[in-house]
Amino acid sequence: MTRKKPESFLPLKSNWFHILLSLVGGEQHGYGIMQDVLERTAGRVRLWPATLYGSLKRLIKEGLIVESGERPAPEFDDARRRYYKLTPLGQRVLDLESQRLKDLVRMLDARRRQEARS
Amino acid sequence: MTSPAGGFGRVYRWLARAFPYEFRTICGDGLEQLGIDIAPLVWREQGIVGLARLLADVVVRLPVEYVSTWFERFKELTMADDLFEGTWRARNDKSSWDPKYTPEQACMRFEATDTGYLLVAYGIKDGQAVAERPTSITPDGRRRPIVDLNGRPIPGVPPGAVAFGTQPDPRTLEAGAEVDGKVLGKGTYRVSEDGSTLTVTTEGMGLKGPFKTMAVFERVVPDPYTPQAGA
Repeated sequence: MTRKKPESFLPLKSNWFHILLSLVGGEQHGYGIMQDVLERTAGRVRLWPATLYGSLKRLIKEGLIVESGERPAPEFDDARRRYYKLTPLGQRVLDLESQRLKDLVRMLDARRRQEARS
Repeated sequence: MTSPAGGFGRVYRWLARAFPYEFRTICGDGLEQLGIDIAPLVWREQGIVGLARLLADVVVRLPVEYVSTWFERFKELTMADDLFEGTWRARNDKSSWDPKYTPEQACMRFEATDTGYLLVAYGIKDGQAVAERPTSITPDGRRRPIVDLNGRPIPGVPPGAVAFGTQPDPRTLEAGAEVDGKVLGKGTYRVSEDGSTLTVTTEGMGLKGPFKTMAVFERVVPDPYTPQAGA
C-alpha cells in the first residue's frame, strides 16, 4: 500500500499531536504518555485510556509511530507495558504541524498589529 | 471513608471484559491495566465525576473504535490510497469506443511510482488477448523522449517524439505524445468523486488512422494484483 504524504495528515488531530509530542523525547508507554500530556497541558488535556489506545493503534497503522521491540529489564519496569516511539514519518508530520501552527500564530499576530495601528 | 477507586478497578475490568474480544484487541492489552492504574489518581483529582468519565470512556470509545475500524477496512477494500492506483475494467455499455479500436474487454492498471504512474492496458480484441506497451506517466509538465522501461528507443516511434504528462487537479491526469510540437495522441484520465469510476478520453493518430474514444472504467474491487489480508 502506498504510504501517505506527510502533508496529508495536516491539520493533525489534537490527540495525535499531543501523543507525538510526548514521544519526541524518546520511547514512552501508554501511562507515561497520558501523564506527560496531563502535565504539559497543566491538567487541561487528559487522554482517557480507550481514547489513548485507540489513537495509538491508528498512529501505528498510519506509520507515524511504532511499538518498540526494546523493553526495560523487568526489575526496572512493568514487563506488560508496551513502549512506543516516533517513526521518521511521524517526526516529519510533527515538524510540519508545528510549522503550520507557528504560521497561524504569526498571521494572527500580524493581524492584531495591523488592527492596533489602525 | 473507603476510597471507591479500589472497588472501581474490579468494575472497570469487568466492564472492559464485557465487550467482545474484537473490541478489546483494537485498543491492545494495555487498556484494561491503564484504566485500573489511573483510577486512584482520577478519584483523587476529580472524585466520582472523574470515575464516571473513566467508565464513559470505555463504554463509548470502544464501540466507536470497533465500528470505525470496520469502516476503515471496508474503505480500504473499496478504495485505494491513491486515486488512480489499482485495476480498472471498462464498461462497454457506458463507453463510446472508436469503431476501429473497439475491444470486447478492456482493463487498465495504474501503478504508483516515485515519479508518477506506470500504466498498463490490456484486454480482448477480435477474440485475441492484447496488451499495450506499458507507459510511464510523469505528471510534471516536462517533455521526455519516448523510450521503453529500460530507457531504449521504441521501434516505430518517430524520431524526436516526446511524452508529456500533467495533473491539473488531484482527480485528473493528462498524458500524451508529440513530435516537433504537433500532438500525436493525447489522453485524459479522470477519477470520479467517489473514486469508483475512471473516465478516459483519448484522441490522436493511430496505425489505422485518426481515433477518438471515450471509455468509462470501473475500479476492480478487491484489486486482483494486491494481496489481501488473510490470503
